[in-house]
Amino acid sequence: MITNRRTFIKVLAGAAAATGARLDVAPALAQAAPVRIGVLAAKAGVTAPVGESGLRGTQFAVDRINAAGGIAGRKIELVVEEESNPKDTVERFRKLALQTKADVITGGISTAVGLAVGPVSEELKALWLAWDATTQKGVEETIPKPRYAFRSVDNEAEAVMASILAARQFKGKIKTVAGINNDYSYGRDNWAAFLAIMKKFGMNVTPVVELWPKLGETNFTSHVAALQQAKPDLVFSSFWSGDAPILMKQAHAAGLTQGTKFVLTTAGGVHESMKKAFTPEGAIMGYNSLYFEAPNASPLLREFSKWHQERFKEWPNYESDHAYFTIVAYKAAVEKASKAAGGKWPTTEQTVEALEGIEVESLSGRRGYRSDHIMEASYYQGVTTHKNRHDFVTIDPVEVMSTKQIQKPSGTGLYDWINSWSV
Amino acid sequence: MLGGVFHAAVLFLVAAGLQLVFGVQKILNLACGSFYALGAYAGVSAVSWALAAGAPPPIFPLVLVGAGLVLALVGPVIERLLRTIYDRDESFQLLLTFALVLMFEDVIRFVWGTAPHQLSSAYLVYGQLRVGGLVIPVYNLVVIAAGGAIAALMGFLLARTRFGRIVRATAENRGMAEAMGVDVSRVYVRVFTLGVALGTVGGALVIPATAAVNEMGIDLIVEAFAVVVIGGLGSMRGAVAGALIVGIMRAVAVATYPEVEMLAIYVVVIAVLVLRPAGLFAKAAA
Repeated sequence: MITNRRTFIKVLAGAAAATGARLDVAPALAQAAPVRIGVLAAKAGVTAPVGESGLRGTQFAVDRINAAGGIAGRKIELVVEEESNPKDTVERFRKLALQTKADVITGGISTAVGLAVGPVSEELKALWLAWDATTQKGVEETIPKPRYAFRSVDNEAEAVMASILAARQFKGKIKTVAGINNDYSYGRDNWAAFLAIMKKFGMNVTPVVELWPKLGETNFTSHVAALQQAKPDLVFSSFWSGDAPILMKQAHAAGLTQGTKFVLTTAGGVHESMKKAFTPEGAIMGYNSLYFEAPNASPLLREFSKWHQERFKEWPNYESDHAYFTIVAYKAAVEKASKAAGGKWPTTEQTVEALEGIEVESLSGRRGYRSDHIMEASYYQGVTTHKNRHDFVTIDPVEVMSTKQIQKPSGTGLYDWINSWSV
Repeated sequence: MLGGVFHAAVLFLVAAGLQLVFGVQKILNLACGSFYALGAYAGVSAVSWALAAGAPPPIFPLVLVGAGLVLALVGPVIERLLRTIYDRDESFQLLLTFALVLMFEDVIRFVWGTAPHQLSSAYLVYGQLRVGGLVIPVYNLVVIAAGGAIAALMGFLLARTRFGRIVRATAENRGMAEAMGVDVSRVYVRVFTLGVALGTVGGALVIPATAAVNEMGIDLIVEAFAVVVIGGLGSMRGAVAGALIVGIMRAVAVATYPEVEMLAIYVVVIAVLVLRPAGLFAKAAA
């Protein structure tokens, strides 16, 4: 230990220097306390795979940002809470905002949850960047001018794009259509949007059967039998969970995939389950805002896909992109607002202003927020093909449309907007 | 119609497990749906493994049944847990078995992840059958036949064997059976395991036609309860009749007026509750 006076003094001086130094950096350390990002992610039930996908995109974004020094010099600390029913999720949102004192809260998949969390985010003045949740009641927006809530792309955007593609692809080839959609707002609105667009494009199609199985159904043998009886030329479905492959498997086993055309607006959410064994070529299938094999994939998407495949033995889907986007958009907004505030950490209000109209590089390309706090993104859909190296279908050619084309503009009604198209 | 019977076959297996356990042990086992989900996931894994090991595809139903039976070994473990609440209020049963439902959902997520699991090509190994204008996958008929065979086997087991007599005696009067020298706790373990096996085999058998998803058990619990209410709690014949009624009602509703698909079932449930509160096949004593 300390053997003589001289060494003792040296140690003492060292300690004093260290203390001095520490005193010096104290304000800087306070400045560099981590940014707390609260995340609401579904972990159980039908939305669990979607929640998991969002968490993966979040983790990828946070790892990259932290490795590069954080947000304006502050590292990110994630606090994950579960998204479940609207009531409990609102409680967890309050906890993240008030107790955890999260700087921003991301996440939220279900629109029912979004409808509940949106007003609370406004009430608490807590910044909320939703992944997938909207604050729509049907196709109507319930919070047209939010201050603190930033919402996802409108629910019916994928149906709008798929319907435009269907009109282009099948004009003159179909007379009767059938719908099989989940019995809730998302399913019903997608089907209604499809019919409205068919009408707008002068397709002259008659709906012969409309089926409304509940969300989470795993047996469609009776529904498939009803489809067989109705003999539609085209079947439209907005299934997005495990029900999409089950429907196709049972439809295929009943011989329905021969001759009948399919439009699967959102099956890309479970794309690896859409096996070639039962998903036909020639169907229109939507991947929402991320297509893992996009021909124009950016180096960032390639890197993410590789990371995702190595870690989880799966190819990523769209929710990763929504989640990734919310984190990088927040980072960009804070840094922009901080610059404007002369290097100080911005207030929530300043961050909100910076978020409005922001555009950043996300996994799926450049995307941003509109001034009414709705997401903008590119959507990927196309015609299914078996010509690939996987055991599931992919799409070729890949169509890319911006939400500027397939999402109703701020302040307009969906059907008025569709009717205003010149086709 | 056939779609309805197919659904009924699966529903019967789950409801039969529920009936058996309630009939004998007086336990309302919500976890019956979890055993179904567990069987489905294990079925996917077992068949994928068997096919990879070079087994000929047509034997896969045997692999499925085998997987279901092996999985029933969780029965004795769960039964040990349930022993703590045999003499307690029914609300404890519901709480404990519902806790099991949530725990099994987590176990499934931990072992198999959240993405849907499926056997993509097994469904059509036996080909399709053309009847009139309809195409029916032969495997659907295999499941219906298996459901029927298991129902017959259960009937035989309960009515004609020594084990069946002991089980029925225990169900009728536990104290008396015990006084007559029946080792009731052993009967309980066996009955519960049999109940679990009905669920796991049901889940395994249905999997080629569908996909295993986390929440599949919870949905089925609700329908299994509808079956039980219609058929009468604790009655095997009731389970068969209830499953057929629910399955066919749904198919008819979907074919004629899809909007009332779920409503139709509960209209029957309410009708039965009003007109015959104990169910169609309830025993006089119950």
